[in-house]
Amino acid sequence: MATVTNWIDHLNKPADQVAGAVYPGAGSSEGLLVILAIIVWVGWHVLTSKSESEELERLARKRHGANDHKSNITDW
Amino acid sequence: MTDQLGALTTIFTEFYYWITVVLMFLIHVGFCMYEVGASRYKHHQHTLMKNTMLIPLVTVTWFLFGWWIYWAFPTGPGIAPSIMNESTALITDDSLFSAKFQVATSSIMAVNLGDHINGVFWAAFLLFSWTAASIVSGAIIERITTFAFGILAIAIGSVFWTIDAAWGWHFDGWMLKILGYHDAYASGVIHAIAGGFALGVLMVLGPRIGKFSSSGEPRNIGPRNPWLVTIGLFLIYTGFWGFYAACNIPIFDLGPEYGMEGISYWTATNIYVTPTTLSGITFNFLMSLSGGLLAGYWIAKGDPFWTYSSGLAGIICASAGNDLYHPIQSMIIGMIGVVISYKLHYWVERKFKIDDAVGAVAVHGYAGFIGLVICGFVLNGYPSSGYSVGAMWDGTTYASINPLGMFLGAIIMFFVLGLIPGYIIAKVLHGMGKLRIPREVEIAGLDYEIMETAKSDEKAVATATR
Repeated sequence: MATVTNWIDHLNKPADQVAGAVYPGAGSSEGLLVILAIIVWVGWHVLTSKSESEELERLARKRHGANDHKSNITDW
Repeated sequence: MTDQLGALTTIFTEFYYWITVVLMFLIHVGFCMYEVGASRYKHHQHTLMKNTMLIPLVTVTWFLFGWWIYWAFPTGPGIAPSIMNESTALITDDSLFSAKFQVATSSIMAVNLGDHINGVFWAAFLLFSWTAASIVSGAIIERITTFAFGILAIAIGSVFWTIDAAWGWHFDGWMLKILGYHDAYASGVIHAIAGGFALGVLMVLGPRIGKFSSSGEPRNIGPRNPWLVTIGLFLIYTGFWGFYAACNIPIFDLGPEYGMEGISYWTATNIYVTPTTLSGITFNFLMSLSGGLLAGYWIAKGDPFWTYSSGLAGIICASAGNDLYHPIQSMIIGMIGVVISYKLHYWVERKFKIDDAVGAVAVHGYAGFIGLVICGFVLNGYPSSGYSVGAMWDGTTYASINPLGMFLGAIIMFFVLGLIPGYIIAKVLHGMGKLRIPREVEIAGLDYEIMETAKSDEKAVATATR
């Protein structure tokens, strides 16, 4: 997957002829990477939404009062 | 400087590094705020002083010998020959980058009209040293003596990290040649070593009183001032821009450097003098930060402390190869690093009763280690240097980046130069009775007398009649 295996071979030509993209998989993996990023991005929303809903439901079931949080303040 | 172009290049480079130093100062401001925010009220001022005093302690020792080590030790000594003098001895000869010019008695370690780079480059590396010591500082708050921390800060900041920098971050370093080590933005040379060192110290120092129940269950001692922690971590993010910039050479002609006749190729380079772009690393910095934040928010179920730290861990994990990765690769590597580091933190805490107060071992040590290992696979086959390409173990040429070499590099950083020295020095300090504060002081709080005096002063002022 290495795009460059020797910097002298890669650069030893006029500057305008040096291939610019040097990341791994340049020219062949970009589409795949974007699909992967979209899957991760959507998956993150699904997972965090689910865990947030569970947390909020759990909190709501406890029915705390408006001032109850004051007894939880710690400073020592 | 005899012509305008040469002068412009020199002054630009001088100013570039100078700006990186200013930016990196924010890392230390951030670490101070973060540690104070993470400590309990009764320890605030001592926590702040401990981290502040590493500035002079590391700076002076860095001036006296730390900088010299970086230039003297790339060959080991005795492991692989220098490309400058073909010797495996300490580089203290007359060659251009010899350590003999980097001693406190040298005329270029001062105002010298013939040199515009040494001081700013020295300072950029010094700020890396502060960072290494600060990483250790956070893990051990509320129970270490300031004396012991000072010794440990000098050891990691002016000795061990600079040895690893000479071995794996110098263009002539033996780890590049023999192992094909590559660590462009210091996953290993700063973070893995400092995390490993902190773990070694923690193994001897022990947990804060009350951290573990009698049955060994860990209790959470969360940050007491989440806003200070938040601002602190944002400042560390900000300073990290300077850190990334300082790991580059901003403008360099690689044609003559690589001996290519008639070729001129101006570019920014990484620390190894191989080409990259500030533009490219900007993509990668932000994408790995985002990957870390996304993964941290998910794995820690929205816990702000871990989410912020995970942003940092994401960058740290991708840093080894962020000069070459695609941005999406950076993001995913950052995410992987965060998930593994988070899980490892709690596993080690439960299994070995290690109390890492701010998660520094995880965020820096584990993430850095994992980043090096991943880099070996993703950048497998890339050259570790522009000067030559050769086989692993050869030593006279530069091995290509490879998984085994990077794994061994990670072991050297985390264990050999990090955990083991940290453990040994902490053991010695413990043996001298100088490592840990008395139990009674820890319970009462390091700031007890300061607070008591402040209370009497306030009382006196409040009751004054005129």
